[in-house]
Amino acid sequence: MAETKKISPSTLKKSFFHWFFWNGCSQQAESMLGMAFGQAMAPVIDDLYDTKEEKAKALKRHITLFNTEAQVGSICNGIVCGLEEANANGNCTPEVIESVKVALIGPTSAIGDSLWVATIIPILLTICLSISQGSTSTSWLGALIYMIVYPLGTCALSWWLFKLGYKSGLEGMQSMMASGKLDALTDAMTVLGLIVVGALTASFVNCSIPFQIVKDVYDGTTGEIIPDTVIFNMDNMLNAIFPKILPLALTLLIYWLYAKKKWSPLKLMGLILILALALTGLGYFSGFYA
Amino acid sequence: MEMYQVILIALFIYLGSIGSIVGNTIGWYTLGRPLVAAFVVGLIMNDVQAAMIVGIPLQIMYMGNVTPGGAVAWDLSYATYIGTAGALAFSQGMDATGLIGLAVVFAGIGGLVGQLMWNVSYALNLPLNRIAHKYAEEGNTKKMWVPNLLFGQLIGFACRFIPAIIVLTSMSVASGQADFATLIPGWVTTALSTFGGMMAALGMGILLSFLWKKQYQIVIFLAGFIMVTYFGLSTMAVAVVGVIAAVLYYVVVSEKESA
Repeated sequence: MAETKKISPSTLKKSFFHWFFWNGCSQQAESMLGMAFGQAMAPVIDDLYDTKEEKAKALKRHITLFNTEAQVGSICNGIVCGLEEANANGNCTPEVIESVKVALIGPTSAIGDSLWVATIIPILLTICLSISQGSTSTSWLGALIYMIVYPLGTCALSWWLFKLGYKSGLEGMQSMMASGKLDALTDAMTVLGLIVVGALTASFVNCSIPFQIVKDVYDGTTGEIIPDTVIFNMDNMLNAIFPKILPLALTLLIYWLYAKKKWSPLKLMGLILILALALTGLGYFSGFYA
Repeated sequence: MEMYQVILIALFIYLGSIGSIVGNTIGWYTLGRPLVAAFVVGLIMNDVQAAMIVGIPLQIMYMGNVTPGGAVAWDLSYATYIGTAGALAFSQGMDATGLIGLAVVFAGIGGLVGQLMWNVSYALNLPLNRIAHKYAEEGNTKKMWVPNLLFGQLIGFACRFIPAIIVLTSMSVASGQADFATLIPGWVTTALSTFGGMMAALGMGILLSFLWKKQYQIVIFLAGFIMVTYFGLSTMAVAVVGVIAAVLYYVVVSEKESA
């Protein structure tokens, strides 16, 4: 009888690194990351199948449409490697492999995009920004820390997920997702993310209405006329109600337009440009900047 | 800018773009981030401090620009490398706000070029599927890297490096022509710095849309906000408070579930 086929550890590593480095090389609308997936699967297929016909069949099912958030999505590669191994030993069918691949696209993209790309990266960037901002003479420090921490951390996570996918397959991923741990973790990261975004909004968003009324004021007690006294300053008044209320309002407006009204970032940039020009115009018109 | 600086920056624009040879983790998500890009440009142009002055606000503005794939809103790599390099090239006699304003404008130009080139490479990659199918049909596992890595990279490199060289060279030539600081009227600088300050809201607004899922969560955002406005904490301090809150939240939620 034929011996059981197994993917060698070095081949697994090779497959992972092909994916990790070159998943985005040939992205396009027809198969998205399909060709990259095919390249990553090629060494595995070479290991598992003997005849040209078998290899051709296996390759063809891995250059079809595939898409995910590639860093967290390496778990898909792991799972598919496991399934191909089972298939080579007669314990799985090509149809199962294909349907599993399609089924993985949705959840892995969602987790990758929302947890990793939209939460971890901004949080890490924010922390590094704060480090950079702390001192002007070492403002490069945050950038350097990010350059070291992010790629190494992501590579480790990606490899861990790849191995997890290979070893425990679809069940492993399902049990991880069903345990509720992932949801709790996502929610906890969201708490951190939101607090930090709040702080960043307060520190970095600048917006003010450059309008004030300046008059010569007659001081009744001394009988003097004090020239050029600010008797009304729009910004001071607004900030007395709630500090930095305008930056907050602007940020929430942008959020609302982007999330609820589906404005594109380009359109939003245009809006901000128009608002900025209008405010500058007001500032000059009212004599604020002169 | 010297020619070697132009070439080096153009090379990094390519490396920091989606699907470069070093991979998206090291490329797009690391070298392509404005914070890192500014540091790299600063090293190349020998003025790290000035580069970081524009890098930090650019990073805030583009904080929300994170997702690759079909929904690339803005080509970050182009935007920030060209933004920072442009600001440094024209920096003669500019103060910090002027620098940031310049960077925002150049980043806008760079982003538009980058967006165009992304669409071009996205279209040019399509025929590669035919090559992949041909090799797959033959069962040629040894050649599967050819369409993805070899041709994908050739197209990617051509689409990033060459336009970047053109944009950077023309900027470099233009910056030598006149003393721009004296030519730009005061109201332009004022408008630019107003624009720069308001653009940060774009990054924050988009980021908020990723994070803010349940309505009550807005108070968490506001908590971070008032810690800066009322309590005067630095963002780093707020981040530490945030980590503590997140850990507590996680413990409470997972204990409630196991109970």
